[in-house]
Order: sequence, then structure tokens, then C-alpha cells
Amino acid sequence: MRQPRSGPGKRRGRGPRIPATTLRKQQAALANVDQITGAKIPKSFVFSRGKLPSTLRHLQQDLRKVMLPYTALNLKEKKRNNLKDFVNVAGPLGVTHFLILSNPKSLPHLRFSNSPQGPTFTFQIEEYALAADIANSQKRPRCPPGIFKNSPLVVLSGFSGLGNPFESLVEYFQHMVPAVDPSTVKLAECQRILLLKYDKEKEVVDFRHYSIKLQPVGVSRRIRKLMQNNQVPDLRDLKDVSDYVTKAGYGSESEVDDEAATVSLPSDVDKLNRASRKSAVRLQEIGPRMTMRLVKVEAGLCSGDVLYPWPVAKESVGEKGKVTEEEIEGQEETEDELEDGSEDEMEE
Amino acid sequence: MAAASQAVSAPPSAAAPAPNPGKRKTRAKGKGNKNKAKKKLARSGQDDSIHRRRNKPSAKFLKLLRKRARDYNSDDDEEDDDRQQEHQPNPRRRRRDEEEEEEEEEDEALSHSDQEEEDEEEEGVSTSATTRFEQGCRAFRVAFLKIMAKKLPDDPLGPILSAHKKLVATKLAEELEEHKPKGEARKEKRMAAEKGHVIPEDHLDSKEKELIKVATKGVVRLFNAVSKAQKPRKDLNPSRTKDAKVLAKERKNTFLAELEMPSHQDKKSQAPSNFSKRTGKDEDEPAWAPLRDTYMLGSKLKDWDKMKDSAAASGQAEVPLGDSSDEE
Repeated sequence: MRQPRSGPGKRRGRGPRIPATTLRKQQAALANVDQITGAKIPKSFVFSRGKLPSTLRHLQQDLRKVMLPYTALNLKEKKRNNLKDFVNVAGPLGVTHFLILSNPKSLPHLRFSNSPQGPTFTFQIEEYALAADIANSQKRPRCPPGIFKNSPLVVLSGFSGLGNPFESLVEYFQHMVPAVDPSTVKLAECQRILLLKYDKEKEVVDFRHYSIKLQPVGVSRRIRKLMQNNQVPDLRDLKDVSDYVTKAGYGSESEVDDEAATVSLPSDVDKLNRASRKSAVRLQEIGPRMTMRLVKVEAGLCSGDVLYPWPVAKESVGEKGKVTEEEIEGQEETEDELEDGSEDEMEE
Repeated sequence: MAAASQAVSAPPSAAAPAPNPGKRKTRAKGKGNKNKAKKKLARSGQDDSIHRRRNKPSAKFLKLLRKRARDYNSDDDEEDDDRQQEHQPNPRRRRRDEEEEEEEEEDEALSHSDQEEEDEEEEGVSTSATTRFEQGCRAFRVAFLKIMAKKLPDDPLGPILSAHKKLVATKLAEELEEHKPKGEARKEKRMAAEKGHVIPEDHLDSKEKELIKVATKGVVRLFNAVSKAQKPRKDLNPSRTKDAKVLAKERKNTFLAELEMPSHQDKKSQAPSNFSKRTGKDEDEPAWAPLRDTYMLGSKLKDWDKMKDSAAASGQAEVPLGDSSDEE
């Protein structure tokens, strides 16, 4: 986390020579503006406040992977780093979004906030499962290389018509990842999806992370595998080459292609999914999985006016107690910030 | 009482009892006669010997008792013991025989009385050091057998001979009590750390399935929007040659129209939309047109029609058009 005071310029001069292409790529990654659409790229920090148990630390790493590529995967933080340090570093690096994990009173909390001046959405994580847990639960966990090279698509569901805190929340989630421009996006780059679904009955938000797999419709499994593996198939038991194509493979094509999940592609995605063909969309969970309850919305960055839950009159004592408690928690954090204002720098 | 005192004062004279049983037997034969003779002498008053003992102890017995008392008090009269050793094996042997009969259940009091009897019969021959030593062994044996014969209660601590048995027990109990809350605290801590952590089941339940359905719907909608935005003509299939020709013609027309179009702004709006497809073609080149080596050189313009054909086959309609329009 700590950088020598000498400054980046001096360091660059002394360090090993970086090839021009790598440097260009790094600069491209550092660019704050999308080179195609010209929109500002949202970048994020995922970090924690306070000490976390090991499972939550794993969750933090999983969340960083979700937020890839525009996040610091190996962000190191120290105990003495306070929120101010992160804010100070976020400005020059173009980081706009903070995902802050904390564990007050042994209840895991996740705060989504905008970097310089809020708002902050505080969620209590009621249930969570790590990516490793999800992978363990699956027979064939899928994680193709390069799946984390592009940002996920964000799909929001069930948030409509809920009023203000949720409207701003929807806006926040939409701007958490780079916006997708339908006219320019390449479908081969859409490999992951982040689903945020609001459950109106339980008043919780389901956080799911899936990988997108496209499969050509009407192509048998054998042909698909042949195309994918680039290997000569085993033809020992067959009398004729045509048998390989005509003979049905395993009788059960487990997932029946339903019309709702098929798309016609505008361009070639890969060898199998050609533009002319129809492809079925298959999702497989890659984790993490979270069920979160919105606890508080603040106007500032982990401080400021409480916008939600609504400040209530004195009649409802129980509610009020809850609010004050949260306010106290917030105050503690601000105090924490003020404790040491040393200018620490962070490395990405 | 007397036996105990003897045991304490007995010097460990080594010469005394031969522990070898075989050897003892042969010796016993020789001395048995001597013993008999002595017994004969004593037999005259044997009938009322018990009476006598009960009523008034003989002078000899009293003397013996006195001597014993002296022995008990004095530590350094070994010369006497040495002198007395000559008589030693005889009573020892006899006592041994009696013991065998009595087996283990004999108690100290009994042995005491035996001793007295012997002493009486032996007429002033006091018990030797070895005898006393033997008696000590016997006492130990008795004590040991007693201990061994004890039935142990079902104690979880096991047999503890220590005098601090109670102390040990309390200590162990304390330790256990200390250990218990520690373990519980650790367990609680772990539970607190794992709070909310749910390990998913290996099958998808209905909720997860529904969520996947929702997500799939979202993906399909987006993909459809993309295909709508990126596909020029939906009714024409670019893989069919007939349609491809139509599309190519159309593209040519639009391209020419684009060339004639003077509006700067229109170009700008279209330019970014085409970079993405270009980057799909060759990844190593920078996406932004001015950064490319071929920028403003018109090298691409030379074979623009060739590119168009390849693009038509793959369905990327606007690629060449965008490039050339930008480069113009």
C-alpha cells in the first residue's frame, strides 16, 4: 500500500524497461474514458473496513473478481488506512465506486458508494456463498480463460416502481460497470452477467453472478465437441464416417432448447456460434452469491444525511432506536476517519 | 506393637535368612531334632501353658519384653544381635510353616500371638534381627496384598494411590471446567465469523432456477437489442449468396452516399460505432483511428471492395464503410 515518496516518475526511470505494447496496454487500462464511446469508465475499489474473518476476506476477493477488469484485484490495505486515504488515491486513479466490506457486531455489511461525495448504500449481507462454494457444488464448474477480461453485464429486476431509495440504487448499479452500447458492443465480450433482483416479499436483493455460454441450436453434441476440441474424434467403433454425424450421442440432451433462451446473433462470436445461426443462451453460476438487505442510505460517502430509512417521528420508538443506532455507527466511522489523517498512498 | 517395633529397629543383617527354599529344607531336618528336644523340655507344663499365659506371664516372658523395650530404645546394640544369630533360623522356619497354613487372611494380631508363643517356648531366646526384618517384609506383604485385594470403584481417574487423591481429582475437575468454556468460546467465535455463510446445495432449487431464468431473459433481451442495432437488414440472411449480393449492393450505395455527405457531425457519430468492429478484426492495433499507422494514408482505401466482400460473408456490414468514411 505504501509507496516510496520518490514519486512515480523517478521510479519509472530506474525500473526495468517496459515494452511499448505493454505500456500502451497499461495506459489503455488506466484510461478513464472509453476509447470507443467516449463515456467515462467507472472504476472501483473493493476493500474492507475493520478486521474481517477469513470467509469474508474470500468474499472480498470474489467481489473484486466480479468487478474486473476495472478494479484493483490486489489492492492491499493496512489497518491504519482510513477512508480518506482511499478517497485521496481514488481521484488520480479515476476510481469512482467503492465497495466496502465490514463486519460490525459480527454482521457482514457491504456498502456501495460513489467515491468523492456519496451516496452510500449500506446493505446487510444476510446470506452469502463464495465462488469456491458454488464451484464445489457444481459438477462441472465453468471458468473459461478470459472471462474476467471484460466487465459483466448488469441485469436489474424487480426494482421498478419502488420509490426513491431504490431508484437511486438502480442508477448506481447501472453506472457501476461501463455502459453497454448496443450498436458497438461485441457479443464475444459479453461473457458474464451480474443479476440484481429485488425480492419484494422479503425485501432483499439477490446478488448473482453467472457466466454466459452460447450454444448453437440444432447442432448435436458430438459436432459441438468436435468443433470445440479441434481433435480427431475416435472413430474406431464406427463403420462409416457418416455414422459419427448421424448416430445420436447420448440420448438425453438434458437441457431442452426453449424458444425464450435463443438469440440470433448479429456477428460471429466464435467458431460455433456463427452469425447466421441461432444460438441458445446458457447461464452457469460462477459466484459469489449474496442475499442483501438494504439497511441505510446516506447522502455522503459513509457520512452525511440519512436518506433511508426515513427519519421517523417519536411515536414509533422501536424504529427510531434502530435509526439512532445506525447513526451512531456512522459517527464512529467518521471518527475513525479523523483519527489519523496521514497521507498514505495506495498501489493498485 | 512389639513386632512393629522390632521391624523398625532390626538391622539388616545379611547372614540371616536363606531365601533359598531347597536349602532351607535340608537345614530344617537337622535342626528339627534340636527343636524337638527343646519342645520336650517345655512339654511338661504344656497343658496349662495357655492358662499360665493368661493369668500371669512367666518371668522369662517379662524379661523378654523388657529386653525388647531396651532394643527398641537403643540403636547400637548390634553385638547382641550378632550373638543371638545362632538361634535365629529355628523360629524363623517354624513361623514360615505356620504362615503357609494361615495363608493371606492372617492378620497382625494373630502373628503377634504366634510370636509370643514362640518366644515363650524358646526360653529367653529373643527374636533376632533377621526375624524382625522378615516381619517387616511380612507387614509389607500383608499391606501390599491388602491393597491388591481391594476392589476398585469405577473411578474415571483410575487407581490413584497418592495421598493427594482428592487434590488430584479437584485439580482435574478444575482443568476440565476451564477447558470447557474455552472450547465453547472458540466455537462461538467461529460461528460468529461464519455468520451468513451458506454453503449451497449441489442442485438448483426453484429459486435459483427462477433467478437464472430472469437473468437469461435479460441476456436475451440485450442480445436481441444488439443484433437489432448491428444488423442492417433482418429479413436478409448474409450467409445466402443471393442476399449477400443484395446487402453488398446496399452497402456500396450507402458508402457512396456517405462519401457525398458533407455533414461533419454525422461522420463523428458514426465513427465511434465502427471502431469496435475494427478492433475485433485486429486486436493489436489501437482502437482510435488517429493512432493507427495507416491513419490518413488511404492504404485501406485501396482494397476496400475486397474487404467488403469478406465482411459481407461474415455479416459485419458496416466495417469497410466506416473505415473508409473515416479516412476520407
